[in-house]
Amino acid sequence: MTKGVGEFEQLVLLAVARLGEDGYGMTVRREIERRTGRAASIGAVYATLDRLERKGYVAARTGEPTPKRGGRARRYYRLEAAGAENLLVARRNLDRMWEDVDLGGEAGRA
Amino acid sequence: MTRLPRLAVLVLGRLLPASHREPLLGDLAEEYADRVESGGRVRAARWLWSQVLRSVVPAIELRFASPRVLLPVARKDSIMGRLLQDLRHALRLIRRGPGYALVVAGTLSLGIGASTVVFSVVDGVVLNPFPFPEPSRLVGVGSEFPRAGLELNFWENLSPAEYLDIRDGTRALRDVVAWDMGNRQASFGDVTDNLFTAFWWGDAFPTLGVQPVLGRGFTAEEIRRGDRVAILSHRVWETRFGGARDLVGGTVLVNGEPYTIVGIMPPRSLIYGTDLWLPMTVAPEVFPRARRQFQVLGRLAPGATLAQANTELAGLAARVAEDHAAALPEYRDWRLVAMTWADINVRFLKPAALVLTGAVAFVLLLVIANVANLVLARSTSRRREFALRAALGAGGGRLMQQLLTENVLLALCGGALGVGLGVLGVRGVVSALPSVSVPVPGEIAVNVRVLLFSTLVAVGSGLAFGLLPALRARRSDLQATLQEEGHGSTGGSRLRLQRVFVGVEVALALVLLVGGGLLMRSFMRLQAVEPGFQTENVLTMRLTLPRERYSEDRIEPFFRELVRRVEEIPGVAHAATATQFPPGVFQQRRVWIEGAEPADEGTLPTAYTTLVSPGFFEALGIPLMRGRLLSEDDLPGAPIVAVINEVAARRFFPDRDPVGGRFRLSEPESGGPWVMVVGVVGSTRNRGLDSPAEPEVFASMRQVPGGNQFFLLTRTRVDARSVLPDVRAVVRGLDAQQPVYAIQTVREAYAARASTRRLSTLLLSIFGTLALLLAALGIYAVVSYAVSQRTREIGLRMALGAGQPDVRRLVLRQALLPVLVGATVGLAGAIALGRAMTGLLFEVSGVDLVTLASVTAVLLGSALLATYIPARRASRLDPLGALRFEQSGH
Repeated sequence: MTKGVGEFEQLVLLAVARLGEDGYGMTVRREIERRTGRAASIGAVYATLDRLERKGYVAARTGEPTPKRGGRARRYYRLEAAGAENLLVARRNLDRMWEDVDLGGEAGRA
Repeated sequence: MTRLPRLAVLVLGRLLPASHREPLLGDLAEEYADRVESGGRVRAARWLWSQVLRSVVPAIELRFASPRVLLPVARKDSIMGRLLQDLRHALRLIRRGPGYALVVAGTLSLGIGASTVVFSVVDGVVLNPFPFPEPSRLVGVGSEFPRAGLELNFWENLSPAEYLDIRDGTRALRDVVAWDMGNRQASFGDVTDNLFTAFWWGDAFPTLGVQPVLGRGFTAEEIRRGDRVAILSHRVWETRFGGARDLVGGTVLVNGEPYTIVGIMPPRSLIYGTDLWLPMTVAPEVFPRARRQFQVLGRLAPGATLAQANTELAGLAARVAEDHAAALPEYRDWRLVAMTWADINVRFLKPAALVLTGAVAFVLLLVIANVANLVLARSTSRRREFALRAALGAGGGRLMQQLLTENVLLALCGGALGVGLGVLGVRGVVSALPSVSVPVPGEIAVNVRVLLFSTLVAVGSGLAFGLLPALRARRSDLQATLQEEGHGSTGGSRLRLQRVFVGVEVALALVLLVGGGLLMRSFMRLQAVEPGFQTENVLTMRLTLPRERYSEDRIEPFFRELVRRVEEIPGVAHAATATQFPPGVFQQRRVWIEGAEPADEGTLPTAYTTLVSPGFFEALGIPLMRGRLLSEDDLPGAPIVAVINEVAARRFFPDRDPVGGRFRLSEPESGGPWVMVVGVVGSTRNRGLDSPAEPEVFASMRQVPGGNQFFLLTRTRVDARSVLPDVRAVVRGLDAQQPVYAIQTVREAYAARASTRRLSTLLLSIFGTLALLLAALGIYAVVSYAVSQRTREIGLRMALGAGQPDVRRLVLRQALLPVLVGATVGLAGAIALGRAMTGLLFEVSGVDLVTLASVTAVLLGSALLATYIPARRASRLDPLGALRFEQSGH
């Protein structure tokens, strides 16, 4: 059985999934900010990625250093099968819970 | 290329585990660079620092959560395992209630930041001002001439003959050198720079105890022959010659003449930013014995002490007086004093530095008392948590360890923030310090020692204030605590302790506020002093004409033409030249007054002698009181005339009209000419606003040759700095090779003089305000806590008929008692401090009733306010609700 993940962990996992080959700390942070308006801190993003890595939901590899980064290498993250499965389960559970719930127009406005 | 600010890298780099340091900092650098490009540096920096601050807690979490750290020590019962457990628990608590953590860490960071600033600056300016080895053995020789009214002085204080006496007549001093400072123009290719230059009799390297990076010092032969040899500073070597190794043996043009480079100084500026060292061109024997314009430096011989050197110098002074006092009466009772070079340079800064260090120690104590208060209050609300954990099997030591971990973590967070504040503060303070009081520019920074000190303070205070509640937690009795109803005996003794803290805080705050208040009043007094002339809109700069290109008879015409052309610049009202101008008047000479036989006892008359162009008085707006000013018709060949200030008129001609009186500037035996007084002008505060006006005589530079260095003074109708490009163009038009330097307005000159005073006033006022806030916060916390402890009692009283005013009075009376006790102790401390500060004050007594009264009123007012808010809350309690109130664990 896969263990449930928190909301922020889901956002990070989804950002990694969306970014494909281009997922690393900065792009993950920006992706979340761009899509949800949540200005997460880079530290929180890394703390979460680290947790997800230890759970086996994402895998990391070291990329290339660039001068713009002051010669520091990137650390790319890729979604693992367990991570994908966890996201799908979370989504299915949420969808089921949302069925027939009406909180008064929130969906209509979107 | 945009780079991350060093401080950001430092803060996060230290906190992050190695595995995440590089990618995270890289990401920050990348996005920061993007943001600088798209939104500008300011917005990017704001974003960056918000990112850094918000990443601090996750970074710590990363460090301890990383499996690479955790796995080998994951056993829960190992020390490391328990520590990690505690840390995680502490982080969770911080996340859940960030308010408490913010207040504690914020308060601590203020205390640590303030102490970092003060200790860094005091360390850089006062304790270790020079980068020399064994600084306590490098000494300067000062002189005091009581008969000439000259106090102990270490600058331009000795003549060449006196230097030789000291060099050859003392055994406790070795490597004795004499030196002078001036300006020379050095050409590097087609660039000509004005370089601040030191001239030496002797090789200064062994005296200073440093080695040249390349080459050598001056040899005795070179000095004796007056060879054209030069030593360059490390920074000139790097910026002008790219650090070329083969420079030694090469040539540099000094005032247009070729000099052979024989050495390069080690990095860092050695003496007052001098970039060029030259040997003195003339042998010391050439100068007259009374020509005192040199400084003497030496090193204590191995085994010799400063006291021995001073004993030798006293004997030497007595012998010189015996030999020469007949011809030179100022030698009677004169003294020679050796002092360490560091002490000489900081002797005027030291009192302020001591007061500030004491003040910052007080702030730190206040911070610790306050945090201890907060922790005590906090631990009360967590008693149930501790009791429960104890019931579930946690031993007393275990709970204590956890509390300590939490507090040290908070202290470290506060420490990190504080060091950040300190770095910014040090930069601010150093930029506000006058350049002359910073012996080695660019050397003052938060150094490792200070960093270590701050960390110790942070961790130490974490331990100190974590310990008390931890001890209590250990003793807490499970059953009593779980059943406690909020008025137990532990609450009472804790409250007593908190009241003691309040008393201490009030006392400390009062002392600091009085210190700040005294300096502020003193500063206001100083600002109200009339300088004696119009200080606004006067631009000043200095020119040194090289002797190689300007013979004596070409100097005055050059400056006369310069003044004429500058006066044609639109916006310029007057221009003039002078050897010195207030507030920087320093050239003092003995004068011999006609008809006043010098008494055997008493002070010999001395005056500041200033050579000026005739327009000097109009340019500065100095009013004429009697007679006439100097004029264009006072020419060489005509009788020499002078204008004197009112102080000189009163002192030298006490009972007759000074106009028409005569005096000499050299010994009567020398046959020097008489100078006739033609006018009296108003006195200016010629030694700065905090010193009384001194006698000053002004002679025309057309009649009395005055060397090759003059200040150009330009009075403008527009903003003084705005005419600078035009003035520079005029100088270039006269001589394309001639640099100008020491550019400042008279206003800036006065501000620079007051800057040390302004800075200590500002810092102490900030500390005082900080102390007031902290004390008010402490009082508020304690009274609020006391009210919450006594809710049931108050409810009962109200149910029995006590009205709202009765309750308010009850709370106020109890709360204000420690405040009053603290204020009384504080007043005693403040009076002691005021006495110690007398030397720093200007026209304000150390025990100043106005300051004491107003500060006490402000403090008591704030205390009353801090008490009144919770007192009012208590009086509005609903009696029934209060009776049902049970203190619940949160």
